[in-house]
Formats: sequence, structure tokens, C-alpha cells
Amino acid sequence: LAEPALADAIARIEGRFGVHALTRGDTTERRRGELVIATGTSIDRVIGGGLAAGEPVAFVGPPSVGKVTVALHAAAGAQSTGGMVAWIDPTRTFDPLAAQRAGVDLERLIVVRTHQVALATAAALRSEGFRLAVVDTGDASIGGIEVDDVAPALAAVRGSPTALLVIATARGRRVAIPTYVFERVAWERDFDRTVGWSFAVGRAHTSDRALFCLTKDGALRDLGTRADLAEIAV
Amino acid sequence: VRDPVTLAVVACDVGAHARLLAALHAALPRIGVMDPGVFACDLAGTEELLGAPSRVARRILARCARAGARVSIGIAPTPFVARVLAERIPPGEIRLVDDGRAFLAPLPLEALPVDAKIHDELRLLGLRTIGEFADLPRGSVFDRFGSGVARAHALARGEYGDVVRASVPVRRIRARRAWDDAIGSHEQLVFALRVVVDEIARSLERDGLAALRLDLRLDREDAAALHVERTVLPPTRESAALLRSLRWALEERPDLGRVVGCALEVLEVEPARGRQIGLFAPDGARREEAIATARYLREKLGPGAVLRARVTDPHARLPERANDWTEVIA
Repeated sequence: LAEPALADAIARIEGRFGVHALTRGDTTERRRGELVIATGTSIDRVIGGGLAAGEPVAFVGPPSVGKVTVALHAAAGAQSTGGMVAWIDPTRTFDPLAAQRAGVDLERLIVVRTHQVALATAAALRSEGFRLAVVDTGDASIGGIEVDDVAPALAAVRGSPTALLVIATARGRRVAIPTYVFERVAWERDFDRTVGWSFAVGRAHTSDRALFCLTKDGALRDLGTRADLAEIAV
Repeated sequence: VRDPVTLAVVACDVGAHARLLAALHAALPRIGVMDPGVFACDLAGTEELLGAPSRVARRILARCARAGARVSIGIAPTPFVARVLAERIPPGEIRLVDDGRAFLAPLPLEALPVDAKIHDELRLLGLRTIGEFADLPRGSVFDRFGSGVARAHALARGEYGDVVRASVPVRRIRARRAWDDAIGSHEQLVFALRVVVDEIARSLERDGLAALRLDLRLDREDAAALHVERTVLPPTRESAALLRSLRWALEERPDLGRVVGCALEVLEVEPARGRQIGLFAPDGARREEAIATARYLREKLGPGAVLRARVTDPHARLPERANDWTEVIA
């Protein structure tokens, strides 16, 4: 193969899938274990080990169900291996106190408050400085953005050393990224007072779910997966 | 033991500094820059290799004349005496002194590198020439004036063998490529530039340097050459970071035309610094990469967009009092 033709072919691949899509022969292939960000909760078993670098994932569910809390645990997991996290926050709703309670090191978290979400996301994905980029789109009805607004940055995900996590209230209409649905299961009550709620996370068309309980102080209790509970019931 | 011999070159025109430095580097070892337009070369032990100092001086004079600079050359046991000697002779001449103290003795005190206040004090003591100052007991000078003037006293005696600190000649770090087929897309150009950037990164690594400023020239088929200048912060020699910086610069230019060649040069360098990496951090521990991205976003989005949070009071009643937000890039 002539060199210009090869260069052209490689440029096409990189143009479509990102500059990290191809590696040189002398580059040691990264082990998958190095690329996966484990949240340390049972959601890892539903997702397939954790969030993987170079892959986008969306957490979709109604407001105040626990998406951000789980995302914060993912951020803490990304930082546990020494990584930095970019949190793109167009609605300015990032809560540092909740992040700290979830175990996030705020020194290694950069919050980007902008509506130019695609620009910020693409920059974070192209940089080799972040393990995880989280885009909290917020509720579109109260000033948030749509998942589709992240679409221009998705070309930079493939091959990036950064995992992309999009938090949204509704699925995108134009972009199709692996989506995990958050559903409220029940309200937790104590002496007739509501003290929290439990929620389930899983793919829309599969039965496997990770179950959590959020208590009034914002602590996340991991209840295991549906399969675990079935075993206990038996 | 080699006899100390120093050759000092003093230029009439300070503007010729760079040209002279290049000419001297090409001819002599251990060139030190004393001041703009003033150079010193330690010739100790080079007689067999280069010839007698006076012969070397003649060669240097001719070389400097070819470089378009008029200089005078002094040869003496110490750099200070050689410099004073060269400054006191007309351009185009060479003078050699064996006894530095005897040469300096009749010269006025102003030739010594000390503060004007010290000059006044020495004059109040009735001293007029360097010789009179050199005759003072060393201990008394040290006790009264301190180590700075004691050093000048040693210079006055022609004793102080200050070392010529050689300056490393500046090496141009550059790489260039020409392509048979013109490149029309950004992605393709970034891919093609990777080879050039890798070459630059290898050169930087060899010299233990990090690039601070880059200049990229793109030769275009249908238009004049395009120059792109980038400041890389923090300075780096990592190929990925350099390429990313260029990629961002190119993305700001929507129409690059058809590029048929490029030349990448490092305009400014800094000594490379080590980086502490996390023990089990394969990719994401590149804090400086993250900070570089934050800087890029700060430039793009303006102030108040790229922030770092800190919890100041976890028990505050109002959420805005619980946190403190600071710019990542001030």
C-alpha cells in the first residue's frame, strides 16, 4: 500500500472515530482493567464492570431519583486511581457538599459551567488529563439542555482515555448511546415520615437491575442487584 | 597545572551580540557571556589543540570581521583583567598581559565592579587607583566592607580566578515535511503533523528541554504560507500535548487551504521538569494535561466558567455559604 493512501486511510479512520482510534504497533495495548472505572457499587455488575474509557453512557431518569448521586460515586471511582474528573454543569446545580459526601476529591474535579456543552465535552475527551467527563444536562424544562446537544462531541469519545457519562431526564432523539434508566421503586418511610426512596438502575429492555436506597442525609445504600435479591428470597 | 589564560572579546556594537556569539561558538570552546557584547573564553590547556593564544586571537578577530562586527581582544590570566584590557584598546587590536596586577595598578578605581557608594567610601579613604586599593590588607578590606568588596579586592590584585561559565550554543529545534498530495482536511493534517511533532519531541527529550512556544509554518498550494504560533502551557515535550496544542490552533482556522508541506520550530524552550505520576494511574493522572484543558476552556468560555469547588462550612444553613468557588486558571 502506498504511503499517501495509507495516510489517507488512517486519517479517515481517525476523522470518524477520533485520533486515539489507532495506535502504533509499538504501543502496548492497554488492559481493559486499566480502562474501566468502577463505581464500587452493584451498578458495576449491571453496566459490565463499570464505565469504560472511550465509551459514552447515559443515566436517564426523572429528576431527584439518584442519577447524580451514582454519578458522583463514579467520579470518586475515577479519582481513586489518581485521575481527574471534568463535570460539565450548564445548569449550575453541582453541589460540592454532596460530592464530598460521595467521596469525591474536589481538588481533582473541575466544574465547567457553560451552555457550550459540546465544546467543553470535546475538549475534556481530547485531553489526556481526565479519566471521566460527566455532563449533567439538567431538566430541559427549567433551563437545562437536551442530550442531543452533546452529539457534536461524541465523535471524540471513541479511543479517548476518558469515559463520558451523560446525566439526563430524557433520552436523546438524535443520538443513540448506551442508556441506563433510573426508576423510583418505593418511598422509604420511618414512623410515617418519608425518609428517602429506593430506586433501580438498568438497561431499558433487560430485567437486571441494581437497587439503591437514598436516605434523607443523602447517603446511598447499595441494596445489590435484582438477582441478588431473588437469591435471598429463595 | 595549566596556566590560566582567558581571551576576552569586547564588541563596539552591542547589537552584534547574537552574530558574534554564533561566530565565537563556531571557533572556540567554553564561550561565556559576561555582558551584552562582552565574551570570555577560557583557553587554559588548549594551546596544543588551537595554537598560541595570540594566534587564536588573530583568527577570532578575522572571524568577527567577517561576521560584520568590530571587536577588540584582550588576553590575560583572568577574565576580569582580559576584559578591562580589551575595553581599553581600540577596535581591531589585540593586547596580551602576563601580570594582571601590574596592568591594573595604574587604572582608576571606577574600573572595579563595585557600587558607586563603595567607590565614594574608597575615595574618602584617599584611594585613587586600583593599585592603591590592591595594596590594602585583605583582612581589613573584608572586615570593613564585606565579601563583595573583598572579591573586588582580589580582582584588583589580579588573583581572583573566576570561572568562565560556558553558554551552550542555541540549537534550533525544527522539523519539516513536504507531501506529494495536498492535504485538505483538518483531521488529515493533524495526522500528518504527528510525525513532525514526534521528531520535535525526540529532539526535546534528547536535550532535556520542554517546548514553551511553537511556530508552525504551513506551505499551501493555492495561497501564501500560513504561520501559526502557539504558546504551550505548561511547557512540555510530550508529543500528545504538543499535537493537541497545534490541533486547537488549527481548529480556530476554518479554511486552511491545500497544505503541501510544513515546518515546525520550537521558538522558546525551558528545562524539562519531572512529573510525579500516580502509582496505579494509567492515563488519567496527567494533572497538567487537565490544567492545560482548563486553560483552553477558560480562554474559550471566559471567566466564571471553569471552576474548582471547596466546601467551607458543611453545616451552613444556606447552600451558597457552604461552598467556595475559585477559578482553576486565575
